[in-house]
Amino acid sequence: MTTAELWTVMPLAILACGALVVLIFGAVAPGRHGTAVGACFLLGAALWCLHQPPSTATSSLGLALTPFARFFTVFFSLTALLVLLLSHDYNERRGVAGEEYPATILFTVFGMGVLSASVNLLTLFLGLEGMTFGFYFLVAIDRTRPESGEAGMKYLLMGAVAAAFTAIGIALVYAGVGTLEIGAAMKALSAMGKGNPVLLAGAGFLLAGIAFKVSLVPAHLWTPDVYEGAPAPVVAFLSTASKGSAVAFLLLLLAAAGGAGPLRTPIWMLSLLSMVTGNLAALLQTNLKRMLAYSAIGQMGYIALALIVIGEGGFGAAAFYVVAYTAMNLAAFGVIASLTGGSEPAALEDYRGLGYSRPFQGGVMALAMFALAGIPPTAGFIGKFFIFTAAIRGGEVALAVIGILTAVVSVYYYLRVVVNLYMRPADTGSAPANGTVPEYVALACAAAVILFLGIFPGPLTELIDLISR
Amino acid sequence: MEHLPVASILVFLPLAGALLLVPVWKQPELARWFALGTALLELALVGYLFSAMPATAGTATPLPGYFLWEDLPWIGRIGIRYTLGMDGITLLLGFLTAFVTVVAMLVSWRAIGERVAFHYFLLLVMESGIMGVFLALDLFLFYLFWEVMLVPMFFLIGIWGHGRRIYSAVKFFLFTLFGSLLMLLAIIGVYLIHGSQTGSYTFALSALTTTRIAPGVACWLFAAFLLAFAIKVPLIPLHTWLPDAHTDAPTAGSVVLAGLLLKTGAYGLIRFAYPLFPEAARMFTPVLLAAAVIGIIYGSWLAYAQTDMKRLVAYSSVGHMGFVALGIAAWTPVSLSGSVLQMVNHGITTGALFALVGMLDERTGTREIGAFGGLWGKVPLFAAFFLLFSMASAGLPGLNNFAGEFLILAGSFRVFALPAVLAIIGIVLPLVYTVRLVQEVLFVTERHCLVQSDLSRREGGVLGVLAIIAVYLGVHPAPLLAILKVPVALLTAGAGGMP
Repeated sequence: MTTAELWTVMPLAILACGALVVLIFGAVAPGRHGTAVGACFLLGAALWCLHQPPSTATSSLGLALTPFARFFTVFFSLTALLVLLLSHDYNERRGVAGEEYPATILFTVFGMGVLSASVNLLTLFLGLEGMTFGFYFLVAIDRTRPESGEAGMKYLLMGAVAAAFTAIGIALVYAGVGTLEIGAAMKALSAMGKGNPVLLAGAGFLLAGIAFKVSLVPAHLWTPDVYEGAPAPVVAFLSTASKGSAVAFLLLLLAAAGGAGPLRTPIWMLSLLSMVTGNLAALLQTNLKRMLAYSAIGQMGYIALALIVIGEGGFGAAAFYVVAYTAMNLAAFGVIASLTGGSEPAALEDYRGLGYSRPFQGGVMALAMFALAGIPPTAGFIGKFFIFTAAIRGGEVALAVIGILTAVVSVYYYLRVVVNLYMRPADTGSAPANGTVPEYVALACAAAVILFLGIFPGPLTELIDLISR
Repeated sequence: MEHLPVASILVFLPLAGALLLVPVWKQPELARWFALGTALLELALVGYLFSAMPATAGTATPLPGYFLWEDLPWIGRIGIRYTLGMDGITLLLGFLTAFVTVVAMLVSWRAIGERVAFHYFLLLVMESGIMGVFLALDLFLFYLFWEVMLVPMFFLIGIWGHGRRIYSAVKFFLFTLFGSLLMLLAIIGVYLIHGSQTGSYTFALSALTTTRIAPGVACWLFAAFLLAFAIKVPLIPLHTWLPDAHTDAPTAGSVVLAGLLLKTGAYGLIRFAYPLFPEAARMFTPVLLAAAVIGIIYGSWLAYAQTDMKRLVAYSSVGHMGFVALGIAAWTPVSLSGSVLQMVNHGITTGALFALVGMLDERTGTREIGAFGGLWGKVPLFAAFFLLFSMASAGLPGLNNFAGEFLILAGSFRVFALPAVLAIIGIVLPLVYTVRLVQEVLFVTERHCLVQSDLSRREGGVLGVLAIIAVYLGVHPAPLLAILKVPVALLTAGAGGMP
């Protein structure tokens, strides 16, 4: 590895070094500055990324700062920045101390960045596992709550199985085509996939492994439990950036393959099952975080629909929806985090009358719900619109109709949150905690993105056009 | 005025007014006046357009018949444009929107005691949404406004409603959304078919109407549009959300629902569904005729069975909107003019009736017909208005509804004799339940009268203006028909005239 090669992956290096610096900083000057230092590194990585011209030059690290990588690294860094803003006071209130929290967040973003920048199946795997590794800690970080530990254990076990699937998949693909280079391997896969059982099995294992991460049905069972148990800011991160990088993983592979090819039928089934199961199961939930977990399963079904038609505009639709979905979920889980005092408000009933007693958080939550339900003028609407346009253009009319019908179902449970916020009288008991300035800033950012993308999606679509080439 | 984006101002002035309510959120009295001021300004603007309309119609705009036109690229990459336009039809409906919003604000002046600013905020946002629906000429933009206007109504019913308010609010939202989302797929379908034929992907209505669509596909697409609009109108058997929503909504919500939201469905049929798929529409005509006629008769029949006055008025709306649908299904110049006129008429009379029932509810806390009696002697002013609007709603000649119904029947009789004859029954039936209603509430003197106070000056003033319009439109609808003449002729000529 030469110095020149290091320069090409500088943003990733900033993230990795940032994680270490935050840890060292904590040892030298223990206190509450980890968040601030971590935030600086995230911002620095994002800015460096924007400043550095994209290139397809590959370093011996198996990484290249392609436009795709640049886009997603900036995106993940900024998401993590908002998550840090949401976490700081939450952790203080919940007694989660130490610099390991921001350090792990940075390390996780490093994994995501590596994933999006990889040109080699092995680095891709390492990025994915680096990210997942971080989440094993983050999910279980609240040691005072047994649920957090339980969620961490579940995530660890499921994650390990998923990692095994992905690794076997990569091994089989390598055995089939004789190369680990993503472009060549995927082209070979789509060219001779149909008749080659080893390759088909490899692709199937890969898809199964990544379906765990995206939580597509039937690999979704961990999602509600982990969402319920993990701290709200961690779920905000898990449900956005980790899902986003899993989708980026699929986008990278499918775009290189030039279409879903032999994977069309399995992804079709995953999409169908996720849209139906996720949205129906969410109807039955009384716990907001569990409800949002099932909603996430349904939403990922829509993204899977876009992945099937990746060549007909599905790429742009999926990438757009990742950004939109991130803003919506950050807002929703951010509100939960900012309302957490002694304990998280978990039941839907806990949100009664909040639209009046906490107008800002209530308003952001309502906006997030309407956005997730796909009501204009929000990012959620535009995102769904792009996905369905791509689906119909790609000829998947049946799945699009089913998707629309499940979207109608989903509106019911999103509205239930709004009903509780504004239409049911509040209990006279203790009002939930009031938010702090960093939390307000993060929530305002997320809300602004939801509205901006809903009204002016043009700039982002043009950006995504650039990265899909 | 020529250089001002008048159409945009029409759409966004109420929204701007709503946002300006935020600083006075905690001062109910200021918020009321502020909101009313905005709504009156909007009304004045529409009123001004009446005088400006004939001078500029079709001269300065790319499409004939339109006298306001704005067209800007919005999401250029996929051909979404920000296109607003106003022709005679939307001038009338825009006027109705601005007027009914003012009425809704005035009738809820004292009835809303808590969260006043929020209430007026929602009314103004809804006015923006409805204006947008009427003015948008890009299908994507139209769809956006179409869904945006649902949200404030959902809150109005759910927060200030009565009875099973939350159930009704959610039912209203889900019913409408179900149809709308399928329409969204159909919109995407037309867009893609047009794009693949011509190579230019656009959502502009004027371009999409020229698309040639295979009959089988067109039927499906039209069916999706029809479903969305029929739910909103509502046509039998998609009307079940309406009685719940109307009954449980607060007075202002009922007035806006009946006066405006139902009109958006009929307007959608006229502006979008029929011009986009003329052949498919012809094939669906029997369906629409049947739904219209059944709606006219069945709606009136159900209205007769109600004991809650608000439910009675709600079901009578089903019948009246059946007439509007009949006029659209016949698709002749006369019947279509009648339909648009009837939309305005229904907005005025039903809005007034909901306001009257709301006033009773405000005074006594009940809307049961059996709880009232002898109002004629106790509160003469109220009783006089009640009688007037009941008779107008029943289609008494000389009052506004009669003019619209007559035109619809005259226009559709020539092409569809049997449905028109059956619909005549629908002119008689409202008389039955209206006479019963008026007799019980106003003239039965055995019962103890709960109502003690007659109309306040505010209430009397609102109803007085409504009454003047009702009488004027009944006696002299010609100016309105003159405004409608060109756009209706253009619409019906485009379809080549229905068989």
